[in-house]
Amino acid sequence: MSGRGTPATAGGGNSAARQVIDILHEISTLLNTKLDRTTLSLCVSLIENGVNPEALAAVIKELRKESERLQEEEDDEN
Amino acid sequence: MPSTRNNRIDEGLSKLIEYILPELEDEDEDEDLKANALELAQGMIDSHVALAYADDPAHIANIIKTKCVWKLIRDNRTSDKALRFHNLYSRLLTLPLIKKKGAILHLLHELSEEPERNTASRASERPSTAVIDSRAPSRAETESTRRPSKATTVRDEEEFDASVPPKPFLAPERGDGKTGEPTKAALLAGINPPLDPSEVTLLKDMPFTLQGVSSKNLTFFPENTLKLPSNLPVPLISLLHTLAEPALLYRSLSAFVEESDAIEDKGGLVGQSLSAAIGNELKAYLSLVAGLEGEIRRATLSLAEDDPHGLAVRKVGVTLRRCMIWTREATMGLRLMAAIVGESKGKRGGQLISIIHGFSTSHGDPFVFNFAKRLLTSVTRPFYDLLRRWVYDGELTDPYLEFYVIEQSEEAIMEANAERRGYASSVWQDKYKLDTEMIPTIMTPEFANKVFLIGKSLNFIRYGCEDSEWVEKYSKTTSKALSHDDYASLEQNIDEAYKITMERLMYLMNKKFNLFEHLCALKKFLLLGQGDFIALLMESLSSNLDRPANTLYRHNLTAQLEHAIRGSNAQFESQEVLRRLDARMLELSHGEIGWDVFTLEYKIDPPVDVIVTTYGSREYLKVFNFLWRIKRVEFALGSAWKKYMTGARGVLASVADKVGNDWKVARCCIAEMIHFVAQLQYYILFQVIEPSWEKLKATMEKPGVTLDDLIDAHKAYLNSITRKGLLGGGSTNSKSRQPETSFLAQLHEILKNMLAYKDAMDGLYSCSVAEFTRRQATSALIDARTAAGKWGVTESDTNTPYEFGQQVKKHSLRHKKVDIISDSDSDSDSDSDDGDLPGIRQRLKTLTIEFQARTAVLLGDLANQSDTDMRFLGVMFSFNDFYVVKKGKGKTVVERRTAQRGDETPA
Repeated sequence: MSGRGTPATAGGGNSAARQVIDILHEISTLLNTKLDRTTLSLCVSLIENGVNPEALAAVIKELRKESERLQEEEDDEN
Repeated sequence: MPSTRNNRIDEGLSKLIEYILPELEDEDEDEDLKANALELAQGMIDSHVALAYADDPAHIANIIKTKCVWKLIRDNRTSDKALRFHNLYSRLLTLPLIKKKGAILHLLHELSEEPERNTASRASERPSTAVIDSRAPSRAETESTRRPSKATTVRDEEEFDASVPPKPFLAPERGDGKTGEPTKAALLAGINPPLDPSEVTLLKDMPFTLQGVSSKNLTFFPENTLKLPSNLPVPLISLLHTLAEPALLYRSLSAFVEESDAIEDKGGLVGQSLSAAIGNELKAYLSLVAGLEGEIRRATLSLAEDDPHGLAVRKVGVTLRRCMIWTREATMGLRLMAAIVGESKGKRGGQLISIIHGFSTSHGDPFVFNFAKRLLTSVTRPFYDLLRRWVYDGELTDPYLEFYVIEQSEEAIMEANAERRGYASSVWQDKYKLDTEMIPTIMTPEFANKVFLIGKSLNFIRYGCEDSEWVEKYSKTTSKALSHDDYASLEQNIDEAYKITMERLMYLMNKKFNLFEHLCALKKFLLLGQGDFIALLMESLSSNLDRPANTLYRHNLTAQLEHAIRGSNAQFESQEVLRRLDARMLELSHGEIGWDVFTLEYKIDPPVDVIVTTYGSREYLKVFNFLWRIKRVEFALGSAWKKYMTGARGVLASVADKVGNDWKVARCCIAEMIHFVAQLQYYILFQVIEPSWEKLKATMEKPGVTLDDLIDAHKAYLNSITRKGLLGGGSTNSKSRQPETSFLAQLHEILKNMLAYKDAMDGLYSCSVAEFTRRQATSALIDARTAAGKWGVTESDTNTPYEFGQQVKKHSLRHKKVDIISDSDSDSDSDSDDGDLPGIRQRLKTLTIEFQARTAVLLGDLANQSDTDMRFLGVMFSFNDFYVVKKGKGKTVVERRTAQRGDETPA
């Protein structure tokens, strides 16, 4: 399954993949996840590769916090 | 492939990290950070790989939807979110490209946040390593503490307040991180203080309660109340209320079933089958309860075994709410049955079916419709059995009076007869009655009537026509099981049966019982249709009938009747018909002459008497008597006219100087009378009887005519004859008319008047003849005297006319010279001298005036008739305006044209 999962999401070239991302994006905005399309497609490809969604969610949240922290640090430096 | 997969994951993760984390100015730091992050992320992910995850998109979707609804409850701004999500979700499901839809949704769900929570989530930061360790225990802890939740109440309330994580990421208290959303039941259970009988206890009691058996917590106190524990929270109470409904309904219904089993006769067969059908439904309900019990037991067992996962079991297992859902449909059925039972009190048979049928047709709910239909099929079974017996055997086996056909008891028939003056004392009319109250609504009134007719006809064929052989053969060949399932074919079957039965009945009536022949014979003999026969009969009987009634003998009459039959075309009638024809006398009353009491009779046997009823025969006799009277007058006037006409050439001409004028007037008058009688006869025979007969014949020849049609047609036929033939003419507006002046009475008076006039004219005739004889004798005496050489008439003769008369008489007797043309009665009159003549004149005059006055009244009445035929009769009486009818206000005056009185006699 991994063999077929990645090209569709990574390339995003064909229309079917775009459609999937469209729908998912819409759902994600609906649910207020604050994921943009690129992140979303990355996430999808990860999950298709067997990553546990909960873990991925935790990672993303963590990363967001991290980035916020870095941002604040930068702001502080400035 | 694990290595490549891991590579891909790593690649993806690094991309993600790069994308999310901001670029740092310091490249080394940047790289370090990213490497750290990657490592961290990999660790997190690896730690989760082991956790088996159910890839069920529907489950996640449900959770998300619930959340949307949850949000909806809190603020109705986002009312369309759930709907939009559902649309997107279903679109997503159709896409084949991605496999792990559930996982992706889960991810999105995990990441979903309330806008206001974003800032809160920033607040706390924890070492990411702690995350992994704390997750599982925290969940376990929360769930174990959930039910005995004294300590967690406050925290749970917070959770209730914000269904999305209120605490910072990976807070240890956040219990249901895995499933995210607590179910409503869990929430309800959570917020409330511990329940005294816990939900599990209540669940365990539920099967008993649903069967209407009291349990520790839920007791049926009186017959129809369920006592709920008082200390339960409101939502649970409302759940229990809902669950109590089927329990209570079941109790009352099973009571009904048992009761009606005990008293079989109460509701009859249909009632019994209703209770049986309800019993079956209750059995189905009980098996549902049994299934429910099994579920509950399994759920509670697993609950007891691993309490920590109790909530999970409850999610898939049994809750009170779920019980409610499961019993919902059964509750509706029970409710419907309870309604039916409630309404069926005191109803039986067809009415009962009508009630259930009402549910199956007039109810919009397809569930109710189907349920009632199912019920109807079994409930109508006894009804259709009855119907089958009735339609195919013509037998009514209805011990509980459930069918809509009622067999009348003997007394009831007698009573009905008394009421209707014996109008129809027949099997056909009175044996069975249609009770419109009892016709079930599954059949239309026309259909029911058809069924009624079929059974009645079969019964009639069997008992009235004694053709039970055919009925048995018929029921053997055509009998089919009728049921409610296929109404169209049922209708078709009934139609067919109807056709066959009616055909057979008509065939029997026409061929076996010669109905048509009998009707013809009635018309020929009783309605004077056979002219030659009647004329001959009257001629031969006239001398007999002139005598007083008590001198008549029946054998004379029958002999004359036989003579008349032999001498006329009636002899060619079939023996069957002639056998029934009889002449007899009506009951004698004092002082009547033969004419008044003579009558012809035509005997009608069963089963034809269904059509020609005894009442009908009496009507026939009435008509016959009236017609016979007219005929008699016509005969009398005709023979008198004949006599006068011959007389006018001989005897009367020679005395014209003395009575000529009288004769002229009298002839005018008698001609008027003859015209009157002729017109009257013409009217009755050709305006009344013949058209009615044609109508009757047309009805009889119509295809598909039924016995009822025939009976009605014949009734109408007789009615029109009796009514229009002036016999009952007064009855149309009898209120305004005195009985003395009814048409029949008037006509009788006029006819009597005519007979009296005829008698008076006979008197005049004898007078004239006597005068003639006297003159002849006188001339003979004179001749004799002349021959003897004497004076023909001496002075003494003229001086003493009496003595001269005596001489003339003696002479005439001696010589027998006078040829007696006169009647026998003229002898007696000849003694009376012409002193009698003024009396006769006077009498003639009064009779004429009376006749004219009566005719005028009759014409006036006729002119006011609503019936055109009867008005036309009036017109015919005075077709050349001999009588002038003046219509005044409210009163009609009829006058004769006095100017032309002498010479214009009606033709």
